[in-house]
Amino acid sequence: MRDVSRRSLLAAGAAGAAAGSVALSGCGTAKGDDGPLRFWNFYGPQNSPDPAVQAQSDWFVAMVDEWNKTHKTQIELTYIPQPIYLNGAKLPTAFAAGTGPDIFMVSPGDFLRYANGGILKDLTDHLKPEVIEDFGDSLESRTIDGRVYALPMEIEPLAIFYDVKAWERAGLSEGDIPTTWDATLDAGDKLRSPTRAGLVFETKPGYYQNFTWYPFMWQGGGEVLDKEGNSAFDSKAARQALGLWQDAVRHGIAPTTPPAANDVISGFKAGNVGMWQQGIWQVASFNSYAPDFEYGVFKLPVPSGGSYTTGLGGWTFGANTQGRDPDGAAEFIAWAIGSMEKHSIQRMTDWCVKAKTDIAPRRTALELGIEQGGYDSPVMKKFKDEIYPAGRAEPRYPPAVYKAISDAIQGTMLGGDGVSGAVDRADQSIEAYLKSYKGADLV
Amino acid sequence: MSSVATPERQQDTPSGQSTGGPSGRTGMSRKKRERIAAALFLLPDGIGLLTFVVIPMLLSIGLGFFQISGFGSYEWVGLGNYERMMSDPLFWDSLKVTGIYVVVLVPTLFIVSLGLGLLMKQKLPGTGIYRTLFFMPYVISLVVVGLLWQFMLDTQNGVVNKALRAAGLEGKAWLGEPSLALASVIAIMVWVMMGYYMIIFLAGLQEIPQEYYEAARIDGAGPWTTFRTITWPLLRPTSFFVLLMSTVAAITGGIEVIFVLTSGGPANGTSLAIFYIYQQAFMFGEYGYAAAMGSFLVLIMVLCSAVVFKATKGGRFDDGDQ
Amino acid sequence: MATSELRSPQHNRMPLSRRLRSPRTVLTALCVVLAAVAAFPILWMVSASFKTRATVNDGKLIPSEITVQNFVYVFTEVPFMKFLWNSFFVSATITLVSLLLHSMAAYALARLRFPGREPIFMAIFGTLLVTPPVVLIPLFLVVRQLGMLDSYAGLIIPAIFNAFGIFLLRQFYLGIPRELEEAAIVDGCGYWRVYWNIVLPLSRPILSALAVFFFLANWNSFIWPQIVATDPDLTVVQVGMASFQQQYGANWNYILAAAAVAALPMLVLFFTFQRQITESIKTSGLK
Repeated sequence: MRDVSRRSLLAAGAAGAAAGSVALSGCGTAKGDDGPLRFWNFYGPQNSPDPAVQAQSDWFVAMVDEWNKTHKTQIELTYIPQPIYLNGAKLPTAFAAGTGPDIFMVSPGDFLRYANGGILKDLTDHLKPEVIEDFGDSLESRTIDGRVYALPMEIEPLAIFYDVKAWERAGLSEGDIPTTWDATLDAGDKLRSPTRAGLVFETKPGYYQNFTWYPFMWQGGGEVLDKEGNSAFDSKAARQALGLWQDAVRHGIAPTTPPAANDVISGFKAGNVGMWQQGIWQVASFNSYAPDFEYGVFKLPVPSGGSYTTGLGGWTFGANTQGRDPDGAAEFIAWAIGSMEKHSIQRMTDWCVKAKTDIAPRRTALELGIEQGGYDSPVMKKFKDEIYPAGRAEPRYPPAVYKAISDAIQGTMLGGDGVSGAVDRADQSIEAYLKSYKGADLV
Repeated sequence: MSSVATPERQQDTPSGQSTGGPSGRTGMSRKKRERIAAALFLLPDGIGLLTFVVIPMLLSIGLGFFQISGFGSYEWVGLGNYERMMSDPLFWDSLKVTGIYVVVLVPTLFIVSLGLGLLMKQKLPGTGIYRTLFFMPYVISLVVVGLLWQFMLDTQNGVVNKALRAAGLEGKAWLGEPSLALASVIAIMVWVMMGYYMIIFLAGLQEIPQEYYEAARIDGAGPWTTFRTITWPLLRPTSFFVLLMSTVAAITGGIEVIFVLTSGGPANGTSLAIFYIYQQAFMFGEYGYAAAMGSFLVLIMVLCSAVVFKATKGGRFDDGDQ
Repeated sequence: MATSELRSPQHNRMPLSRRLRSPRTVLTALCVVLAAVAAFPILWMVSASFKTRATVNDGKLIPSEITVQNFVYVFTEVPFMKFLWNSFFVSATITLVSLLLHSMAAYALARLRFPGREPIFMAIFGTLLVTPPVVLIPLFLVVRQLGMLDSYAGLIIPAIFNAFGIFLLRQFYLGIPRELEEAAIVDGCGYWRVYWNIVLPLSRPILSALAVFFFLANWNSFIWPQIVATDPDLTVVQVGMASFQQQYGANWNYILAAAAVAALPMLVLFFTFQRQITESIKTSGLK
């Protein structure tokens, strides 16, 4: 085994390029000391007709403006449209070439990849102990060996949204809000029609689909990995969770493609959806686009003998160790959402109750949000009091583990695979991957 | 000898030219001047292709021998990525999907665009308008194509299912089943590309001298006989070109459509090799592995086109009257 | 066929044209039907771009309420004109430069004698097989090393070099009579002047055809521009359009309006040049 530095490989490439090139006009400046720190995100600055989206962009702009007014190190926001941020080649290419942003947003699915690649700056020293305590559990999936590598800006629990009018028209009442899997399938069966999906689960393969599926497995006591870090995927809980989605599709209760081209609000408004497993963020979309639409939310149902939990998503801020000024970037993140200063707490509250509708990941910010009326509406109250508390953070499994589980979900839900075989295959490929895995703990 | 090979210059060029010509002034032989001119003419494109296509390709082949974190660390693994590829069922599945995709898409596209080309050659009233209409799908970017069809194929409200229901048939979840989703993607790609290859065919058809058709008409040949004995043989270079280009396009393109419509699903049903490679590289950060698979894919294409070249003698099916 | 005969009374008088014309009527009808099918999705896109978010997914071809708000939004809230200009400038520059360079290379490959011509041509042809996503990262490294990131140069220069144009131009040059050039050469013209004064003017039709294809391909290019340019001032139209797709709930009406605006110039371009295109492309080298 031989480590070849990126520089020498680049040099080889550059030599070739230089030899053949007419105009070698300069060399890449990955780490210029000058210029502002670049903060790549998918919120702003932008203009949007959607008041919620506009408010989110404004929040980012205001945050950076305030920092720039009071600090010597300047920050510059770069808006990357979300489809490109999530699936595009832009970020990976930039990081691979050493031109990645100084500050960026990290999802749970990408956390370990960045952390193991040594790209995420250890933020711990920039955070006061009381801040770390204030974040509490929400830091768990962002911590490696007791050190914090990314700071969450939001917590987004999953629940089931339903159309109240359709519910009533299907002869269901308030008392019929299902708490079990069977009751949910029954309700879905009653709600469905040729133009209305009974119960919608995510259908497209991706980190998001896995995220929405895990809680069903956890409810039955299933785990992807055990405490020693071996695969524990082959379990009754995993099989029954896959079976639930498979049954829902087989009986025509769950559709195989999302209604309304995945525009959730329009789908509900147009009467194409009975129930849809979605996250707390949809509350903001309903508020801004369909304020009069009557919808309700309820906790994810539970299998017999299981116990309730849900998935908690949400993005984090991370600083790039290979950036222009990693300490400055870390300093900014701590200042923005990770200090005990009033502005920092208020900023997170603003994000979670004004710009978006989320659970604040810091106790102080959550309390401030409650105080300022952010959780007064019945839906948000339900999210805060019932749905969120027993939730579990979205896991940070690396791509190979994600892919194995995704294939099991897709295969059983949409590909006609048997549940047992799919679980076996996933279990084996996770096990095989873990043998060669080197890096931080997966859980 | 192949049609893409350069025909040799006729031997009966006036003898004065081989030594005389403009070279007299400079004292250089024409041969030498011709070589220098050729080098200069080829230089800009040569350098460009070298810098922006060949070197990246060579680098990519090189990257295939490394394990790359995506953040600047490179670890030599020799053939490790290729071994991994050999035992990666997902890669072989994606090759299988690609195989089906190519085998269905390319002939369908061929027949449809040839048919349209023949139709356009009839000089029907308003041909220019039809031509534009058939070409229209090709001017739309693939991202938009994906978005558009996501709507049209919507299970509940999509226009396709609405039409089927109006006709008394049942709507389908076009993107909800693996094989149906692949068929939908193929149909969409045919729709996108048919206008383009129609133009190529039309151009090829117009190269066929009109006298041949006149002669056939006088002989009383029917449309089918005319097509079989005149159009088809004389169109072979074009057919070859279309086959080759559309096969390459099918193997290397279409990622944007897949992303928008299916993300490779359902159940990897539309996970084309190129999509899987993209996924490994840019979503999973496995650049070395992706580079290895990519190099392998390029190798397959080189072999395929070599076979096609050999089998068709570069589009000259009518072996050697020259 | 029976119906078309009924519809055309002159067939009774001219039995010969009857045999010719009734199939033509059928073919015309076929054409109309096929063209309608092919164009329907585009029509649908245009119609949807006049709908509101609430009705955009209603599956109706004729909007129940027509709004131009989507277009107003596209042009006022987002620097869409800037996106369009960037796309135009980048595509036009690529097209012009590549036509010049490719026709030079093609001329040399088709007409000049030099050792290694065939291998060089095959090597150039072979670069068509290089798969774009595979070379994306190395290409990015090269472009970065050349200092072209986040610049028009980075958007333009790497996109110029493509063997497709060289191939088609070479086929075209193989097909034009050699006598003209030979005469010029005898007259004492240098090769450059032969190329510039004789070959280039002769290639006008094929150049206009290729110009449309090149312009189109680059106008629609999405992956490379998103990678190489981060500066918002360099956003091209296809990348700009992605910003209408939000995380939660896409604004389909805006996306489709933007898509329609982006497609319109290309349709006009094609409609204008379609005759030249079909009459100038040559794929056969042997005649």
